[in-house]
Amino acid sequence: MRWEVFKQDAPGKPHQAVGSVHGADPEHALLNARHVFGRRPAAVSVWVVPADRVLARTAEELAAEGPPRAAGGDAGQARRFHVFRKSSHRRSMTFVDHVGDVDAVSHEAALAAAIAADGPEPALAWWVVAADDVTRSDPEDAPSWFEPARDKTYKQQSAYGTVTPRRERGAAP
Amino acid sequence: MTTALETPPTGTLRDALVARLTALADDELLLGHRDSEWTSHGPLLEEDIAISNLAQDEIGHAVLWYEVRARLDGSDPDDLAFHRDPEGFRSCLLVEMPRGDWAFTMLRQFLFDCYEAEALPRLARSPYPPLAEAAAKAHREELFHLRHAGLWVRRLGLGTEESRSRALAALGVLWPEVGGLLAPLPTDADLVAAGYLPDWEALPGAVVARARAALGAADLDPGRDPVVPAVNARDRVSPQRAELLATLQSVARADPEAVVW
Repeated sequence: MRWEVFKQDAPGKPHQAVGSVHGADPEHALLNARHVFGRRPAAVSVWVVPADRVLARTAEELAAEGPPRAAGGDAGQARRFHVFRKSSHRRSMTFVDHVGDVDAVSHEAALAAAIAADGPEPALAWWVVAADDVTRSDPEDAPSWFEPARDKTYKQQSAYGTVTPRRERGAAP
Repeated sequence: MTTALETPPTGTLRDALVARLTALADDELLLGHRDSEWTSHGPLLEEDIAISNLAQDEIGHAVLWYEVRARLDGSDPDDLAFHRDPEGFRSCLLVEMPRGDWAFTMLRQFLFDCYEAEALPRLARSPYPPLAEAAAKAHREELFHLRHAGLWVRRLGLGTEESRSRALAALGVLWPEVGGLLAPLPTDADLVAAGYLPDWEALPGAVVARARAALGAADLDPGRDPVVPAVNARDRVSPQRAELLATLQSVARADPEAVVW
């Protein structure tokens, strides 16, 4: 089963979609997300959501389909949804950013509300996630999950000079 | 005001502390190496990354202990890791054994993490600051290791018939060897008497109780308590240690003069 991973780099920054992991259940997915995306600075929180529980729409899809139907889904009690937005093509390591929450009766209704409240800058893509589909890292675990990464030093692969010293030792190629 | 225990020990106490630090470091280095043997062989991509992370963490903790030792005797951590003969290592058989299957690796990691969950907070209370600081640093990360290994113990024990039989088979081999991990070095008694290893006599019982509780929650009964020998000098070279070090040291020994890797 595939899970989308959202990582927060620092308190006050938005959770951002950084990629996905496999996991047999929520705890397994969350630990895998920590291993895969929290190893290097910086992270203070990770969320995982079953990939098939994400409503995702690009600007192109919305233009082709028309606006989402506000009354779609279960006509029942409103639930809390997290809304994520892609605002720039300039970012390669992240996709959408968490931009706010809305209470709505369905994913589609939450998306309609988010689009209605959106500013003039065009959104490139939207994701909507029900808050109760999210499994979140526990702030109490931050010292063991995230803080050790701050002390870790590592080299970019270009920093490994294995070729040059060989040449300097005079072993003619 | 500084007490005598805050300054580096001398004489036989120094030698005893060097021996204890060597055992701590060697266990981490060899376990880290065995974990690293899964790199590119993990059961799924995320677990491959996870076990490789664990391997790096354990090797990083070995470096912490070697560096504390270096302050006492001027030794070089790289030299100790890559150019020391197997006779000079003080690892225990638990960490030396081949990686086995995934259940074996996870059960071993879990048992070692249970030991660290008890040993590191004790060492973090040592009055000798370099020892206490290294222990506190390693302990922070070990809590995440224990979470990961504990997750696998539950899923193996409560999963399928096959996962459960593999977990029990692994436990049958590993559990008795916990005794060799927990047994003190012959010179540990001097450190305990001098106050360097707080509450160290209670360590074996605490580790076994912690492991039993988690194994029980996974419906895995390890049987009788492991026999903890009165001492374990760790100076006998097992075939597993020799084989592991031959691999671990092969690249460094192929070019002892190399300075850049």
